[in-house]
Parts: sequence; C-alpha cells; structure tokens
Amino acid sequence: MPTLLEVQNGLRMSLVDREDGEAATMLAPHVPPDRLDIYRNTFVTGVTKALRLSYPAVHRLVGDDFFAAAAEIFIARNPPRAAHLDQYGAEFPEFLEQFPPAAALAYLPDVARLEWAVTQAIHALDREALALSQLAALAPQDQGRVRFAPHPSIGLLRVSYPADLIWRAVLDCDDAALAALDLHPAPVRLLVQRLPAGVEVIRLDESEWRFAAALCAGQPLQAALDEATGIDAAALLARHLAAERFVGFTLAGSGEAGEMPNELSGKCSP
Amino acid sequence: MTGQHLSTTAVVGANPIPAQAGIGLRFQHHQAVVDSKPDVAWMEVHTENYMGGGTPLRYLDTVRRDYPISLHGVGLSLGSAEGLDLTHLARIRQVAERIEPALMSEHIAWSVVGGTYLADLLPLPMTEEALSVVCRHVEQTQTYLKRRILVENPSTYLTFAHSTIPEWEFITAVAERTGCGILCDVNNIYVSAHNHGWDASTYLAALPGAMIGEIHLAGHSVRPLADGTTLRIDDHGSRVAAEVWALYEEALARFGPLPTLIEWDNHVPPLDVLLGEARQASSRLAGAAKEARRADAA
Repeated sequence: MPTLLEVQNGLRMSLVDREDGEAATMLAPHVPPDRLDIYRNTFVTGVTKALRLSYPAVHRLVGDDFFAAAAEIFIARNPPRAAHLDQYGAEFPEFLEQFPPAAALAYLPDVARLEWAVTQAIHALDREALALSQLAALAPQDQGRVRFAPHPSIGLLRVSYPADLIWRAVLDCDDAALAALDLHPAPVRLLVQRLPAGVEVIRLDESEWRFAAALCAGQPLQAALDEATGIDAAALLARHLAAERFVGFTLAGSGEAGEMPNELSGKCSP
Repeated sequence: MTGQHLSTTAVVGANPIPAQAGIGLRFQHHQAVVDSKPDVAWMEVHTENYMGGGTPLRYLDTVRRDYPISLHGVGLSLGSAEGLDLTHLARIRQVAERIEPALMSEHIAWSVVGGTYLADLLPLPMTEEALSVVCRHVEQTQTYLKRRILVENPSTYLTFAHSTIPEWEFITAVAERTGCGILCDVNNIYVSAHNHGWDASTYLAALPGAMIGEIHLAGHSVRPLADGTTLRIDDHGSRVAAEVWALYEEALARFGPLPTLIEWDNHVPPLDVLLGEARQASSRLAGAAKEARRADAA
C-alpha cells in the first residue's frame, strides 16, 4: 500500500514530468488512467493563466499558441514553488532568452524583464512612505549615514531594448507607435513604481539610475552622493523622497533604525 | 489546544455570516460592487488573491465595510504529507488580520509536494494516514489562526485503490477530531457522486448537520467519454445545474438554512447574472427558514 507521500510524488511526476507510470498503479481498478490528464490539464492551464497575467505584453507579442507552447515547456522546468502564483514566473525572461523559437524577437526578454518588475510592483505589499519629519529630525552629522529602505514596489532595470516603449504600445494596442519604434539595441535604464493610480515606468539616464540603485541598495547617503557625478544628486534625492519611494532608513555604523524593512510585517512572521 | 475546546468556543466573528445567499467576489466585479453595493448578504474571496498590497486589497478594504467577508483559501494544502508551508500560513494570517473575516475555510485536498505547488485541489487517498495528516494540519491551522475553520469536500475525478474510508466519513471524522466545521459544497458532492457512482443523497445524509457552517454552489460541465458515459467537471464556469439546485433543496431540508455561496471563476459573467443565481438560492433559503419556523412552532 503506497504511503501518502508516495501517492503525492506519483501525482507530481504525472502532472509535471508527464510520467504516469507510478500514479497509474495506485488508481482504483475501475478508474481509467486518462483521468490523470484532467489534473495535468488543470495544472498546466492554471499556471499558464498565471503566467499570462504576469506577462500580458509578451503574450500579445507572441500570440496565444506560441505563449501556451513556451509556457508548457517553462512550467515543466520551473514548476511553481508556492501557492502564491502572483510571485510565479521570475525565471521566464531568462527562459525566453534561451528559447530558440523566440530568437527572432531579440527584444522579447527585455519586455519580459520589464513586465516582471511591473508585476512585482502591482503585487508588492503596502507600506507607509517615509515621513520627511523623521529625516529632518536627524542631526546634520548623521544625515550622510542614512541608508534608505525602498518601497517594496520599486524596481530598477537595465535593458538593451526600448522595452518601456514596446510594452506601452503593445498594451495600448497602438500599432502606429509600435511600427514607429526603433528596435535596435540601445541601453535603457528604468525605474518602476506602483502609484495609487497604477504602475509608473520612468526612464533615467545612466548616472541617475546608478544613484537611485545605490540608494535603493541601502548604500549610505553620503557614499551615494559622492559617487554621483554630473547630476544634481540633491535635487534627485528630493524627487525620490517626494515621490514616496522610501519607507524607512537605518543609520550606517549604528543599530539605530528609523524603520526596518521587512517582507512580512513583524508581528505575523511564522 | 484540543478540538473539543475549539468546537465549544468557536466564534464566527464580530460580523457573522447570516444564513443567506452570498457571492464569490472576483476582481472582475471589484468596481461594480463598490459602485452599486448590490443587495446580497455577504461575500467570499480567495485568500490567495489578496496576499499582496495595492489595488485588490484596497477594494477589499472598501467592500468589507459593507459586507461580512469569508476568506476561502485554495493553497494551504491541508493534505500535504510533508507538512504545511508555514510561510503560506503566515500570509493567510496576515490577510485575516487585515480583513477580520467572519469565516475562514480550506479544502480536504492537497496541492504541494517536494516544494512544488501543483495549482489544483488534488484528491487524497481516503486512508487513516491521510486522515491523521489532515487532522494534524487543521489543528495546526486553527491554533495558528486562533479560530475555527471550515473544510470543504472536494470534487474529484479519480479514486485510489487503497482508499478505505468513504469521503463523507473522512470529512466527518476531520470535523469530529479537530472541532473544525464543514463547508458542504453541494455541487462537488453532485460531481463526485456522478463521477464515482456514489449516491449523492446518501452522501448528504451521512454528514453531521450541526457541523456544517456554509454551503457552496457552482456550475459544472459535462464531458462525454469514449465509452458513452460522461464525466462531470467542476469548472465553476456556468450557472448552477438544475440537478444541483434539487440537491441543494435536499440539503436545506436536512440541515436547515445555512450561509450559501455562489461561486463562478471561469467565464465570469456580469455581476447581475451572479446576483440572479444568489436570488435563486435566497428564495430556497426563505422557504427553508419558513419550514424551520413551522417545525419550531409545532
């Protein structure tokens, strides 16, 4: 008699690896083994749907059939790890990059990278923005030691194609804008953020992007300012603060904290 | 904490779900529900759809001011041999703390093995081993959430050779051992009974009425098989079938009026269609309530 774990491993092999052998021997005698197809179909269809919701522009760019075929291979290689499908599909951009049938669409992995950042922004946890009064209360000599914690919806990407323009034109169904795009590779630096009205994708130049990345990585403010050359970093910092891109800060070289970043709120971690 | 203790102290919540019809709230109807505040007694959502922040949670924050909410989980995998995913359980509690639901429920099913989520409510072998695994996880969940949950009977398309316990006895045993309640999905009983040659009325009759806290109704589809028979698929993609309404009437006659939910997840119709289905449940609930009053008076 198979144990519960053996049954569950048998079904996993059937659904993910398409090997029905183990599971088929466990079924009641009158149950035709093709009943396993129903579960496999629900699994693949359900996860494909989750992937489509996270990558709507990729889906439109390649069409239903291509997307479903790519998703099926991707899902078999990268099945979901948790019952939280909003977080599923992080590896899809890299998969598309290595997927020979998509080779003709060189910009596709970059569009996917942007969509993943947008999806992360859409589903990011809510956090109160850093109150400027907290910063103002710091002694001047401490301000350079501030390490910011970015809002969970913030994403920073460097891509090689105008993924933002493609993404917007595709989701707006704007064929004229799509046709007018220059699809040659050129570096594009993006900042993604969820605002109350929706997700915003902003283009930055290389120096602005590096400064934002340093701040979001929690580098001490003075170090980030020192490295930022050729831009008005103080004005940029003011813009980040006004746009509520930070939720808290700590001070470099001390245990003192404004508010610690935390994925799950502290009182309910398991 | 023992099941006995939980069963006697179970609190439904500050804003309990009435024995009336509710609808499953899906994101397609968020705006329409907020705008029109439809005349329906309560709403149920899938917990997993509100685990992030942003727009969905903002809608639910608004909706919960006007309606009692039930949180219905589809991903906890109570039947996993390897134990519960504690991170997932923590996410569930986080949603519960924010929404303060009147009811919380999960399934007699499993979906996670070896760290892989199989994105479906998969059938359990009906064995003593599976029963003790499910009971352990229900108790763990109730202790962690500090509340009673309901567990729902699944719809299934296959059974295992080594199953020894009828499904209705399995779910009853889970309720008796853990003090949890039962979410009686009448459509699932109908679908599984058809697919496995069980008698749906016998299934209903075997359930402990006092432990049933909610009823689910949904549409299903009928798939013809090569041998001329049919398989019923629980796809929540259409109106409730006439045969399921008849079985629902049987359930109400047996258990009395209970909170009843209309679920619709695929090919989601306009809100009015969903509300129409809820009204159909309401008229049957009103009949059952009248019947119950008559029985009390006699």
